Parts: sequence; structure tokens; C-alpha cells
Amino acid sequence: MTRATDALWAGESTWFCCGPSWGPCGSAGGGACGDCRADGNHAAWPHLSESCWELTRPDLCGEHDLPRRGCGSVLTVSHQCTAAAVTVTISDCGPRTHEFCGEGVCCDGVCLTNRVLDLTPAAFAAIGSLDSGVLPVVITE
Amino acid sequence: MVSPTSRPDTAPPRRLGRRGFLGSAALGGATIVGASSLGALDADAAFAARGPALDPAVTGVFVAGRIGAVRGTLLYVAGGSGATHHVRLTNATSVWKARPTTADAVEVGDGLYARGVPMPDGSVAADAVWVNIVNLRTEIRGLRRSRIHLVHHHRELVGHTGPETAARYAGGALTPDLGRLRIGQRAQVLGAWRPGDGSVDVIRVTVGH
Repeated sequence: MTRATDALWAGESTWFCCGPSWGPCGSAGGGACGDCRADGNHAAWPHLSESCWELTRPDLCGEHDLPRRGCGSVLTVSHQCTAAAVTVTISDCGPRTHEFCGEGVCCDGVCLTNRVLDLTPAAFAAIGSLDSGVLPVVITE
Repeated sequence: MVSPTSRPDTAPPRRLGRRGFLGSAALGGATIVGASSLGALDADAAFAARGPALDPAVTGVFVAGRIGAVRGTLLYVAGGSGATHHVRLTNATSVWKARPTTADAVEVGDGLYARGVPMPDGSVAADAVWVNIVNLRTEIRGLRRSRIHLVHHHRELVGHTGPETAARYAGGALTPDLGRLRIGQRAQVLGAWRPGDGSVDVIRVTVGH
């Protein structure tokens, strides 16, 4: 488990595309909640619903008891090693944590493991660089 | 498509606000002298230091869309909602198109994500632009010497590999060795889309266990 003190959870965040977009993302759609947009501060959460949990299975990576949060829930996502933060609205199910068990990302000598959040390009770019692909994040409510 | 981004507001900026710097650069069109005193001008470096990397007094914006025209340093970007946004590149703008590059690499028809600061004339002075960048959850369907055949959202996708392509296996370090990729693996592909044929230049492919 990688839950940090006073945080809802902590781990690795990737980014994904949704909503009207270009290229391969053009077929992404609005996500499980229907309103996800690449230019909005949105996120995908692995425990959006029970059916979502069956797809993401963070428990298979040791991420037990990840709380359930539904469409429209608001989270604050902070970069582990900077003060950069962004407020996001949950609008999709993801990431598929179990497909990348044990993957970690480090900064300042601290490593956070397992994909526990997907951010839209707008949200990810608010706290990091899109070409990094992954960021260590702390999630609060 | 423009949306506000959020910033922490609990700590004072430790240096000249990057957004103010960008705004000055955009309004003045000036050559930036002594930029190194502000830190390296790339997207990663903007977040490298502890504390707010951007001036928290200014709300940032994010633009996503296709580039319809390039006029000097001004990009005309068609957003998904049909609106056209004006993104201004400055001497301080970091540009990524498969790799860190310069504004000369930006072309009509490219897809774009831009982070920046709103200007009084309605344009966005860009802090960073990512051109044609994609980060896709895929499945590997075929492997060739310089190509990976992928499926993304039930659609076939060709990924071009080259000397700059790196792989990450099961949480390990990045390696240029693509020989451990296997058909049927789920793979996260960070790359650059080619508008001409819809394929992708693979920059990094990550697979799990």
C-alpha cells in the first residue's frame, strides 16, 4: 500500500486522452462518465465502480482498499516533489493498474509505485511535462 | 478549447514569475537576455524546483486542437468545439515534437497541446507546446524490425521504432533493447503521431509483467 499520511492515496499517474481530439485520440470518446475532455482538468480513477474495479484491479499490485469515488468527485493532485497541484474531477475509469504492477517513478530519492491515476493532458500538464509520461503524485480530497 | 489550470497558492513565488516572464516576452517580442538566470527553459525544468514553478497569481490556460495556420510566431489552433485559439510562441516556449525541438518544426495539420498564460489580446503565450504527442494504451499485435503493429481502441496502429526508441520492462530502467517485447503484451506507447498517414513514431514503450 502506498497511502501517505493525510493523503487519500499516492502513486504513479499517467495521462490519457478523451473527448474530441486529433489523431489516435479521436476515437477516445467521453469516458465512463461521458464528459471527459482532453482540455479539462479531469481524471480517471481505478475504483469508479465495481465493474471498473474489475478492469483495473489495483489490489493485484498490493493497492488494497483504494476508496470508491464516483463520477464528479473532486480530487487535488500534487506532484510528489514540487508544490505544483491541480484540482481534477473524476470522469473516467482507469488506469489498468494491474497491467503495470510494480512500476515506479522517483524524485528526490523517493519512489512511488503503481499506476493509481490517469490525468487528462490539461491536468497532467498543470503539474508536469507531458513528454515525461508519468509523474509521482499525492492525491488528497 | 481552453481551460483554466489550478495552481497552489500557499507559498510565495521564489523568483520572477515564469508567467510574467512569458507575458513580457510575448508582448515585447523581445529576445530574452539572461534567460539562464530563470532556469532552463524547458517544460521539465519549469517544475524541477520545489515551490511554485509558475506564478500562482496568474491562472494558466491549456489549449488542445489542430494547427490550422502558422503566421510567424502565432499558431491558429482549431479546438474540438470549433473555436479557433491563438497560441503565441515566445523565445521562452519549450517545443516538443518527438523530441525537444524548435518552433520551426511546427506545421499546419499538426495536433497540439499548449500550456500558457492568457494575454490581453485573447491569445495564449505558450510556456510549453507538445506537438502530435500521444500516450496510448495499446496491445502489441506484431513486431517487425522497424515497426510495431498495435491496436488502440480496437483500431490498428503502426508504430515506427528507431534509434531513439526506448523500452521499459516491468518497472525496470529504460533500455534501447526492444527484443523483449512480445505479441499480446499490453503496452503504453508514448510517441508522436504522423498526421500524414496516422502512424506513430514510438519514443517509449512500456510493458508490464
